[in-house]
Amino acid sequence: MARDARKALPPILLLLAWEVVGRLDLVASGALPAPSEILLRLWVDRADYPAHVAATLTASGAGFVIGNLVAVLAGLLFVLSPVAERMARGVNIAIFTLPPIAIAPILTLTLEGMTPRIVLAALGVYFVTMQATVTGLRHFDSRAADVVRAYGGGPGAVLWRVQARGAVPALLSGFRVAAPNAVLGAILAEFGGGGRFGLGSYLLGSLGRAEPDRLWSIGLVATAIAGLSYAVFALISARMLGASRALSLNPAAPPQMVGGRDPLWLSLAALVLPFALWWAFLWALSVPEMLGKTPFGVVDYLFLSDSAPKAQERLLAALAETLPITLAGMAAGMAFAFALAVAGRLTPAFARAFLPVALVSQTMPLVALTPLLVLILGRGTAVTLWITISVTFFPAYVMIAQGIAQVPRAALELPRAYGASAWRELRLVTLTAAMPWLFAAIRLTAPRALLGVMIAEWLATGRGLGNLLNQSRGYLDFGMIWTVAVVSVLLSVGFYLLAGAVEKRVLRRMGMTGGG
Amino acid sequence: MTAPAGITLSGLSKTFHGRGQVVQALRDVTLSCPPGSFTALIGPSGCGKSTVLRAALGLEPLDAGTVEIGGQTPAQATKAGVTGVAFQDAGLLPWRSVARNIALPLEVLGRDLAPASGRIRDLIALVGLSGYENALPGELSGGMRQRVAIARALVSEPQVLFLDEPFGALDQILRRQMNIELQRIWAETGVTTLLVTHGIDEAVFLADRVAVMQAAPGRIVDILSIDLPRPRDAALFAAPHFHDLCDRIAKVLHGA
Repeated sequence: MARDARKALPPILLLLAWEVVGRLDLVASGALPAPSEILLRLWVDRADYPAHVAATLTASGAGFVIGNLVAVLAGLLFVLSPVAERMARGVNIAIFTLPPIAIAPILTLTLEGMTPRIVLAALGVYFVTMQATVTGLRHFDSRAADVVRAYGGGPGAVLWRVQARGAVPALLSGFRVAAPNAVLGAILAEFGGGGRFGLGSYLLGSLGRAEPDRLWSIGLVATAIAGLSYAVFALISARMLGASRALSLNPAAPPQMVGGRDPLWLSLAALVLPFALWWAFLWALSVPEMLGKTPFGVVDYLFLSDSAPKAQERLLAALAETLPITLAGMAAGMAFAFALAVAGRLTPAFARAFLPVALVSQTMPLVALTPLLVLILGRGTAVTLWITISVTFFPAYVMIAQGIAQVPRAALELPRAYGASAWRELRLVTLTAAMPWLFAAIRLTAPRALLGVMIAEWLATGRGLGNLLNQSRGYLDFGMIWTVAVVSVLLSVGFYLLAGAVEKRVLRRMGMTGGG
Repeated sequence: MTAPAGITLSGLSKTFHGRGQVVQALRDVTLSCPPGSFTALIGPSGCGKSTVLRAALGLEPLDAGTVEIGGQTPAQATKAGVTGVAFQDAGLLPWRSVARNIALPLEVLGRDLAPASGRIRDLIALVGLSGYENALPGELSGGMRQRVAIARALVSEPQVLFLDEPFGALDQILRRQMNIELQRIWAETGVTTLLVTHGIDEAVFLADRVAVMQAAPGRIVDILSIDLPRPRDAALFAAPHFHDLCDRIAKVLHGA
C-alpha cells in the first residue's frame, strides 16, 4: 500500500502544479488551462462530442480491421515466400515512411465520403501489423519445430502447430501499437478532407477561435481514445502472454534492415512496384487526368510544363524551410533521448518513473498535441522544433531504454567486479550496447520527424512543405498537391534508407551486425 | 508393442561451408545399432555427434552416406512413427499443457488422440509427473520439463529412440536420478536407443556400447562394449569396474 501511494505521488503532484499554473494563467496568458477548466469545458461541450467521436471511431475502426486483415495476409505471404517479401520491399518502406498528412489531400481528391479516412487509418495500421506478423512467424522456437519435423511434419505442420500460435503475442503487441495509429490516420484524413464530423474536423474548426480549453478537451478525448485502444490490446496480450512466454529467451537485438544483396531484377521490381501500384490505383478508380496525376503527370508538372520553373521555385523554397528544421529537431530529439536513457541506467528509479510517462505520451495523437503546443509556443519556428523533438524523443527513448534494459546482468557486473567505476562500466558496456538501438531509433523515427514538421507547418507556422500542401489544396493546384505528396514520401524514404545505410556501416565496423 | 527396429548408419559425411572456411563436420561415420540395444555416442563439444543424430532423423542433409531405420529411410520411418526423439532443450510449446505437449507427436503423425489418453496418463506417471497433467511448461522446473520431453518421445510407441543430450542442462544430482529412471524405462519398453551425450559416466551407466567420436573431422574413433550386468542401480556409480570403464573411455577421448 505504502509503495503504491508513493508511485501515485508524482502524477498527483504534477496535476496539482498544472492546476495552479493553469488557474493563475501563468503560461502564455492562459494557453495552458487548468485540468479542472478543461474538464469543465468538456462537460459544457458534451452535446458536440458524440457525433464527432462516432465519426472518428467508425473510420479508424474500419481502417483498423481492413488494414490488419491485409497486413496479416501480407505477412503470411512474406514468410512463405521471401521473394515476394523482397519484391514488396519498396511498397513496405513507402507505406511505413509516408507522412499520412502528405497523402491525405490526394485521398480526399480521389476517394469519396468516409473512404479517405478509412484508407489512411488502414495505411497507419498496415506496416506495424505486417511487421509483427512476420516477426512472430519467423521467431519461433526452432527446437519445438525440430520435434515436429522429427515426426515427419512438413513446413505446413510447423507453421500451424508451432509458428502460428507462437506469433499470437507478437501480433497482439502489433495491434496494440497499430490501434493509436489508426486513430491518428483517421484524424489526419479529417484535416485534409473537410467533412462535418470527426474529432479532426472539430479540432480544425475550433483552431481559429481563442478557446484553449476547448482545444485541450478535444486533445484529451483524442488521447483517451488512442490510449484506450492501446490499453485494450495491452490487457488482452497481458492475459495471453502469461501462458505463452518463451521458456528460455533468445538474446534480443533491435529490428534490423533486411540485409543481403538482391539480384538486379528483384531490386528493380521492388523499385517499380510502388509506382505500378500508384498507376493501378488511378486506373482502377478511373480518376480524371486533371485530378489524378500519374508519375509522368508529376514529372510533366515539375519539369516539362510551362509552369515548371515556378513550381520548382516554390518547391525548393518550401524544402529549404522544412529540411533544416527536420534534421535539427531530430538531432536534438535523439541526443536528448540517448542522454536520458543512459542516465536512466545510472539511476534506475528515475527510469522506472519516467518510462510509463513516455509510453502514455506516445499514444497521444500528434494532431492533438500540435494545437496545444501552438497555444503555448506561438506560431514561430520554436513550435516546429519542439513538435519534432517530442515526436522523435519519446519513441527513441523507449527504444533505447528497452535496449539498455536487455543488456545481460553479467555483462554489466563484470567490469564492476574488476573495480570499474559506474562511468567506466557505462562506457565499456552500456553505451556500446545501446548503439544498435540508437541507430534503429533514428531510422524508425525519421519519418515521424518529417510528419511532425509538416503537421506543424500546416496547422501553425504557415511555411515549408506542409504549408505548400495546404495552400495548394486551397488553390486547387492538383499538380502541386501530387508533387508535394511524392516529394515528401521520397524524402521520408530517403531519410530511412540513409539512416539504415549509416547504421549498417557503423555496426559492421563495430562487429555488431546481428546475424538474422 | 511391435518388435524394435535397428539403426544402420553407413558412411555418413558432411561438410559445412562458412566464412571462407570449409569444416568437415562428419567423415565416414558408420555405426550399427542392433534391435533392442542401447548405444551411447560420446565426444567433445563440436565433434558432430548431434549432427549424426539429426542426420539419422533426416533433419540434416548429408553429402554422402545412408541411414536405415528398420530397413526404411529416415523420412519413411519418422512419418510412420517408428522413431521417438528428445533434444537437449525440451522444446515444449509454452501454450500447451503437459498432457497436450506429450500428445503433439500423435497429432503430427495424424493419429487418433482419444484412444491414447490412457497411455498419456501412464507415461506421465512413468516419468513421475502425476498431478501435473494440466500444468503449463512455464510452471515446471527444468528437470520436470525434460521429463515431459522423455514422455513425449515415448508417446508414439517408437521402436527406435533418439536422445540428444536430454539431461545436458540438468545438475549432476538430477541427472543421476534421470539416468536411473531412463534405464528403467528402457528396460520396460525394450526400445532401440541412440543416446548422444558428453557425460562419460552417463554413457557407461546406460549403454551396452559406447561409440567415441573426435572432432575435426568428426569421426568415430572407437567402439567399446560395456559388459556391466543389468539391471544397473545407483550403487554402480561407486563400483571399481565402472570407473575402469570410464577411465578407458576418457583415454580414447583424449586420444591416448
